Amino acid sequence: MQILAQLLVSGIAVGMIYGVIAFGYQLTFATSKTLNFGQGEALMLGSLVGLTVVSITGYWIMLPIVLAFGLLQGSVVERLGVRQAIKTKSESGWIMATIALGIIFKNMAENIWGRDALKFPSPLPEAPIGFMGVNVLPMEIAIVVGALALMLAVEFFNRRSIYGKAVVATANDRDAAGLMGINTSLVITFSYALSSMTAAFAGVLVAPVTLTGANMGGALGLKAFAVAIIGGLSSGMGVVVGGLILGITETLTGYYVSTGYKDVPGLVLLLLVLSLKPSGLFGVATIKKV
Amino acid sequence: MLKVEKLVAGYGKVQVLHDVSLEVPEGTLVTLIGSNGAGKTTTLRALSGMIAPQSGRIVMDGADIAGLPTHAITRRGMAHSPEGRRVFSTLSVADNLLLGAFPRVTGARPKGDVAADLERMYALFPRLSERRTQLAGTLSGGEQQMLAMARALMLNPKVLLLDEPSMGLAPRLVEEVFATIARLKQQRVTMLLVEQFAMAALEVADFGYVLENGRVTASGPAGVLRDDPAVRAAYLGQHG
Ligand SMILES: Nc1ncnc2c1ncn2[C@@H]1O[C@H](COP(=O)(O)OP(=O)(O)OP(=O)(O)O)[C@@H](O)[C@H]1O
Ligand SMILES: [Mg+2]
Repeated sequence: MQILAQLLVSGIAVGMIYGVIAFGYQLTFATSKTLNFGQGEALMLGSLVGLTVVSITGYWIMLPIVLAFGLLQGSVVERLGVRQAIKTKSESGWIMATIALGIIFKNMAENIWGRDALKFPSPLPEAPIGFMGVNVLPMEIAIVVGALALMLAVEFFNRRSIYGKAVVATANDRDAAGLMGINTSLVITFSYALSSMTAAFAGVLVAPVTLTGANMGGALGLKAFAVAIIGGLSSGMGVVVGGLILGITETLTGYYVSTGYKDVPGLVLLLLVLSLKPSGLFGVATIKKV
Repeated sequence: MLKVEKLVAGYGKVQVLHDVSLEVPEGTLVTLIGSNGAGKTTTLRALSGMIAPQSGRIVMDGADIAGLPTHAITRRGMAHSPEGRRVFSTLSVADNLLLGAFPRVTGARPKGDVAADLERMYALFPRLSERRTQLAGTLSGGEQQMLAMARALMLNPKVLLLDEPSMGLAPRLVEEVFATIARLKQQRVTMLLVEQFAMAALEVADFGYVLENGRVTASGPAGVLRDDPAVRAAYLGQHG
């Protein structure tokens, strides 16, 4: 029982990371019906940039710098990989382009930071806290709190500010949003920026627990993609639920089956998603329309 | 206020509008009538930049706006209530109206008193007032139509383009829409009205243009067009 509770706690922390990356997929899908398949690499870059900056500035000043880096990186992905595809209503151009950009980012990271896994300093004590017989890492709590806070902040922005409402309007009906005087191209760039910022934030949250490195992004991005499809690409908190289920399943598999099979549930989920929803994945019909 | 010269526009390689010229003087209500597929919606779309004109001039308030992106044209003061309402379905009535004033709230146009204008809209459309917090997607068709008009008015536009504001409405609501348009005209809102009810539109308008197959085939003071036997023959039988 104790062990199960212990596994649940770890699973929840990992699951929140999947949830927050999947949330990032939702952000761009809502406004542009496109996704950044380099989302895992955005996470990896955020984490590695954080690693370099943290040694200079310390942890707390590093955070806003990483968030700003994420915004910039996401804007670059949109301008280079996505904008033209949206303009020409290409159905798949953005898929290849974002995958290619992801590979480029990964190669760059390998050249700068090497291929090895690196230790990321923890801002919180690394000794677990005993709680009703279960050991919880302070950083695991920080992951859950941080991820939820970020998602709530975005939600709050969308509901309360006029700019957030402009984002929702663009997601509803891009042409009509343009008629309101909203620069919808800028809104789409912004949603990419925000999406990468989310990933970069997830990267620095998870790094103290999992180690960081140029290879950390790929599997995370793919599994979070499966979570986003299951949880709903358009919006909603389904991604958090989906992320938690996957995170917990993985941790259980890692313990009861073998750590070697830890990644299997997520990838099986991905295969299921791809075979069950072969065509309707990105709402291609919606892109075609208009 | 708005002057269109030899406008050519279409979709992809298909040319729909052929040298359309028309004028909407300040403070007047001009109507554009024509049968289904004549190119009325296409004209309005080209004016507000939803499609890029292939050639021609669109002069608003002295500046050529042809080829500008939609949001830039809106920020210069043109409001367009599009065909099919196009309200933001997951946002409330109040938020839809607020977004109509987006350029004012964000400083791209003179701010004025947005809150007072909101109340003015609620007075003009009491039905919306009762439903301020309701999601626009759950409104009835007629209510959505009112919302689309009110949202466009929230810009305090120099020119208001209305594309079939009576579409799909019950006769009593159609009358209400025309009464509202007449009231806006009294307030000297400059309007270009596209309507399927050609005779009713000519009833309220100052001036009219007849569009056929993407060409202006007749134009004149609304009263003259209304009595024109050819126009009557073409449009009177269609809808009173
Ligand atoms: N998105 C589009 N792509 C291609 N052709 C279009 C498109 N929209 C309209 N057309 C064509 O352009 C022509 C004019 O259409 P438009 O919608 O401007 O007509 P309309 O006068 O507004 O008609 P209605 O009274 O039915 O609204 C039609 O032949 C139509 O088929
Ligand atoms: Mg039309």
